[in-house]
Amino acid sequence: MAQPHDRGPDFLERFVALLEGDDVFCVATVIRSDKPGMPAGSKAIFLRGGGVEEFGFGDPARTLRSQADRALDEGRPRIIALPEGVEVFLEVQRPPARLLICGAGHIALPLSRYAADAGFRVTVLDDRPEYASAARFPDADVVAEDFIPALHALAPRLFRHIVVITRGHAHDLDCLGEVLHWTTDYVGQIGSRRRLAFIKEELARRGFPADALRHRLYGPIGLDIGAESPEEIALAIAAELVCVRRLGAAHAFSLRGRSRAEAP
Amino acid sequence: MTDLALARRLLQLRRDGLRVCLATVVEAAGSTPRDVGAKMLLCGDGATFGTIGGGCGEAVVRSAALRMLASGQGPGLVAVDLTQGPGERDGDVCGGRMRIFVDPG
Repeated sequence: MAQPHDRGPDFLERFVALLEGDDVFCVATVIRSDKPGMPAGSKAIFLRGGGVEEFGFGDPARTLRSQADRALDEGRPRIIALPEGVEVFLEVQRPPARLLICGAGHIALPLSRYAADAGFRVTVLDDRPEYASAARFPDADVVAEDFIPALHALAPRLFRHIVVITRGHAHDLDCLGEVLHWTTDYVGQIGSRRRLAFIKEELARRGFPADALRHRLYGPIGLDIGAESPEEIALAIAAELVCVRRLGAAHAFSLRGRSRAEAP
Repeated sequence: MTDLALARRLLQLRRDGLRVCLATVVEAAGSTPRDVGAKMLLCGDGATFGTIGGGCGEAVVRSAALRMLASGQGPGLVAVDLTQGPGERDGDVCGGRMRIFVDPG
């Protein structure tokens, strides 16, 4: 049910707090009004499950519940016309996709920046505190712990995009062995085709046959733009992440070409 | 710029005592440079953060925002027409129309 008149501190503070969380919500804004007591700029926030918080909106917020639920279901914005010349803009806010970068080395630095700029919420994991430090990664959450226990402690449902770029194939395999159990949209693995072939053989031995990885594991990682430097490789990875998020795995794999996507 | 980054910036600017307008694209028909939901901050000193598509449309919103901040007038809608011909001077030729809600807070 509605929680009326939960004004909270201030709309903007509440909005930021919600955006920092992991819930979907809908913001209603009065964009035009001839109605006394309900000026343009009045706001209400609709949460999933029935919660309403109003900021100058008043009781009419409740009458918008079904439209807000529809917007929440469809994920699309809409404008609703109400009596007395009132127009309300409904906008759905989804939490940003989270990206987990395993390995805090040379590529992770530019990748964390590019991915954060492109709207991903980034977490960087490495077992070396001197590499996985907040000073090195101002745009990311940083976890400096051993890979496997750290991956066990993370909430897998939050991370659907994972980049595996540790300093060696043993750590890579440890990370892949964990995250491939998660429901993911993207798991990318650094390495040459030769190294990828070795990693895939090892994964098959650990219960992940090549067939099961065909449209899950992006390796060698990144769109093929001829990247050489860490920054270029990070750009290729960021571009692939955007492609997966915007257009889906089928399109992203089609850009890789059959030979690369289906290499053993 | 993500909505979170923009909202944090807006919160900071207002805490610093600055007057800032938030512009949000609430309607977009035809071919427009940004989709519904695109946002931009416009400060009284002319500084901006984010974009609703650049060009003429943004210039119209910028002058509306500055007018609002100078006059103390409340929030309102600004209509932008991007359907002028390619030959027209300074015309935006994307081919669409937008409505933008500008809120001085």
